[in-house]
Amino acid sequence: MIEPRRRAWLVSAAALVLLAAPACAADQAMIDAARKEGSVVWYSGMIVNQIIRPIADGFEKKYPGIKVQGSRLSSSEAALKIINEARAGKPQADIFDGSALVYRLQAANTVENYKSPSAASFPPGSRDPSGAWTAFNTYIMTAAANTDLVPEKEVPRSLADLLNPRWEGKIVWTNDQTSAGPPGFIGAVLTSMGEQAGMEFLRKLAKQRIVNVPASQRVVLDQVISGQYSIGLMTFNNHSVISAAEGAPVRWLPLSPAVELPNPGGLVKNAPHPNAGKLLLDYILSPEGQMVMRNATYLPSNPAVMPKDPTLLPSGGTFTSVVISPDDTAGKLDQWVKIYVDLFK
Amino acid sequence: MSEGLQRRAQGVPLGRRLLRWSGPTGWLSLSTIAILAVLVLPPLAVLLQVSLTETNADGSAGALTLRHYAQLFADTHLYTSAANSLIFASCATLVSLLFGGTLAWIVERTNAPLKPLAYLTTIVSLGTPYILYVTAWLFLLGRTGPFNDAWRNLGGTGLLFDVYSLWGMIVIEGFLWSPLVFLLLSASFRAANAEMEEAARMSGASIFDTVWRISLRLAWPAILAMALFVFIRNLEAFDVPVLVGTPGRVTLLTTDIYLATREVPPLLGHASAFSMVMVVIVGVLLMLYGRVSRSAERYASVTGKGFRPRPFDLGRARWAAGGLILLNFMLVLGLPLTALLWVSFSPFLRPMRWAGLRTLTLKNYTAVFNVPEYLSLAGNTLLVTAASATAAILITTVAAWIAARRRGGGMAVDQLATLPLVFPGIVLGVAMMEIALRAPFPLYGTLSLLALGFTIRYMPYGMRYAYSGVLQIHRELEEAAGVAGAGPLGVLRRIVVPLLSPALLSGWLFIFLIGAKELSMAVLLAGPGSQTMAVAMFDLWVNGQGGELSALGLLWALLMTVFASAFYFLARRSSAAAYGR
Repeated sequence: MIEPRRRAWLVSAAALVLLAAPACAADQAMIDAARKEGSVVWYSGMIVNQIIRPIADGFEKKYPGIKVQGSRLSSSEAALKIINEARAGKPQADIFDGSALVYRLQAANTVENYKSPSAASFPPGSRDPSGAWTAFNTYIMTAAANTDLVPEKEVPRSLADLLNPRWEGKIVWTNDQTSAGPPGFIGAVLTSMGEQAGMEFLRKLAKQRIVNVPASQRVVLDQVISGQYSIGLMTFNNHSVISAAEGAPVRWLPLSPAVELPNPGGLVKNAPHPNAGKLLLDYILSPEGQMVMRNATYLPSNPAVMPKDPTLLPSGGTFTSVVISPDDTAGKLDQWVKIYVDLFK
Repeated sequence: MSEGLQRRAQGVPLGRRLLRWSGPTGWLSLSTIAILAVLVLPPLAVLLQVSLTETNADGSAGALTLRHYAQLFADTHLYTSAANSLIFASCATLVSLLFGGTLAWIVERTNAPLKPLAYLTTIVSLGTPYILYVTAWLFLLGRTGPFNDAWRNLGGTGLLFDVYSLWGMIVIEGFLWSPLVFLLLSASFRAANAEMEEAARMSGASIFDTVWRISLRLAWPAILAMALFVFIRNLEAFDVPVLVGTPGRVTLLTTDIYLATREVPPLLGHASAFSMVMVVIVGVLLMLYGRVSRSAERYASVTGKGFRPRPFDLGRARWAAGGLILLNFMLVLGLPLTALLWVSFSPFLRPMRWAGLRTLTLKNYTAVFNVPEYLSLAGNTLLVTAASATAAILITTVAAWIAARRRGGGMAVDQLATLPLVFPGIVLGVAMMEIALRAPFPLYGTLSLLALGFTIRYMPYGMRYAYSGVLQIHRELEEAAGVAGAGPLGVLRRIVVPLLSPALLSGWLFIFLIGAKELSMAVLLAGPGSQTMAVAMFDLWVNGQGGELSALGLLWALLMTVFASAFYFLARRSSAAAYGR
């Protein structure tokens, strides 16, 4: 049997071939309009050197005369800027992305729906049906362990193993209060175990005195690597692979369920360069743009592009995941944050 | 005789008050107040509005509420947090004063060896990015740091230090601000008259007595002003309490506020309410300080009579003093720098152990040199910080003179110029953003906007440097110039500024160096074409490229050191003329 992701790849490859000719013809009017606009502004939560710059280079090469101006902003700063710029009637950005951003922008009515043709083959969890957002890439949040401190026979195989008294005070996570932090973990536990069993597990886990580190998930992983703590929760699994390849004593643990987060991006309402914005969105989501993600060891959201290491995804078969979409976040984040504050802070 | 002088002769208080406003000096006061008001009041109004209203989803101000103020007192551990905050702020202030103050006296007033090392320590540690400095200390004192490692190797169990504790926070914050104290007090000590110290020594006083009874007493208004200033800074500090305190679950008053500003979008009501309370506290403290320094002339030692500062001969104790300079270098700079070098040459974050030596690599430095964008970021940053340091010093020189000489509106000038101290960077950033978006000319996203924001944010620092400096200059010099026919601007330009130059230089240097590290405002106000270095470094930190960050941070600190030293030594040479050395 062909695994789902592979099948999707074949289907979309066929679709691409079929759609290629008419798509180009339809695009020409948009390309001309975008050229007249001359530039495109992107407020991004991604890393400049790894993603923003390479994508901008590829885009500018493909569409000469349209300059990409990227600004690196966290979700909270991007929300503040986009919302205030809209209120002053001076929108500056054309497109945005950020893990915790889109639902706040939707609440402020600053998102323009746009269904990119590049995303036609995306699975439903990776795009909004009305076109408010599409996943630029996927994040898988899992546990990671320091291999010097955690011998092979003691490596936790399930979430329940984390309750072993030997880990008390030795588990660490970020204090980021988004779905990419403890609230996302809480959401995944409640979704997979059910409310009652889930809360019981969380209460026991809180007794392990998990250390809250006021920094990003990547910094938490570095503290595990340097041996300050044995186990990190809610770390990006591709980061462990990158560091282990450089010789760091770390491995990610396929504990089920992991948290699967789409990184949603979209078009800003009343964008100053709407055509160039759409063109850049199409490019980022296309197999070409997704190859940049892949080469930076990110997990592409376009099913046509496989990640460098397919076992990093649930479809690799070693673990299951709970997908937390921007809609889930909009509805339940406050409730998860409250549980975090009550039990873990 | 003018009407004003007649009234003064009659001793009518109202008349005296009017006199302070009369003539060209009154105009100078009024225009200074106007400039300060234009700079400071709009952000204050935004702060007040945000603290008193709900924020709608579209970012506009909603219904009036006192919720944010109530929230300040709703903290379940309010008493513990308040006590922790007080202990943290006062002890960290004490650490800074002890380190920075002792060092400043030794360097400026004695013949101790190794003096240039003290300047180097100060400039490099101020030029080192904030995040790196804190991270380096956490790395050194952390569970797997060299100290705890050595303790375990010697057979100890558990941890020798737990850095994630109140004392860890105090030490790191104290070291962080001791360069500020050093720069400020060194300017004060440099302009102090050595005659009194010499007289005390000749009358048989010991070195300790001389320092205690003469040097410290003379610098008292400057020391007190700065202690207050550093204390306020520490009380409203977010970063160290959060970075160091959170893992150890030590909560301060500012801990929750910081978390609220990290939400999407940031919840600013809580932070604004706290800042408004701080505005009131600072206002009261400044007024109290005004009373203490009312008779400030007593402390002025730069007079018209044969002013000639000379270093103080320590005798054999000069080697002990040199040892202190060396110790300060080791603690404030040597140790954290070694940690950063280690991280920058390691392929990934690993403890400092012999086994790690074999894997040292240059790849982090290669990676930094492969990003040409850093050049334009460095250019932007140098331009913005140099411009804002210059603007802030220009404004505060006049403001400090008016405030210290108790011209008309002196108190108002001091309060206005000090207010921005309590604006959290992100709140000031939001206020500036609103203002720029409403400006009739294109300001949003430009380097000018950044420079304007930085000028406002760092004015209080310039004010403290200039104010302490003016207090030391005796009025008689200015009165002499006045009698000879100089107007207030002439007095400022020909008398005050040259005598004040050591303080102004220190102030400029300080703002230049810490402005380059400003992050929260830089992120909000910069457009795609006006990004600064701090943003790029934060990027590396968030992405966990600790090695690259250390490499870039060290190279950046090197560049800042070269720039700052060149400026400092050129400017100091030209200012030396005013003091005849």
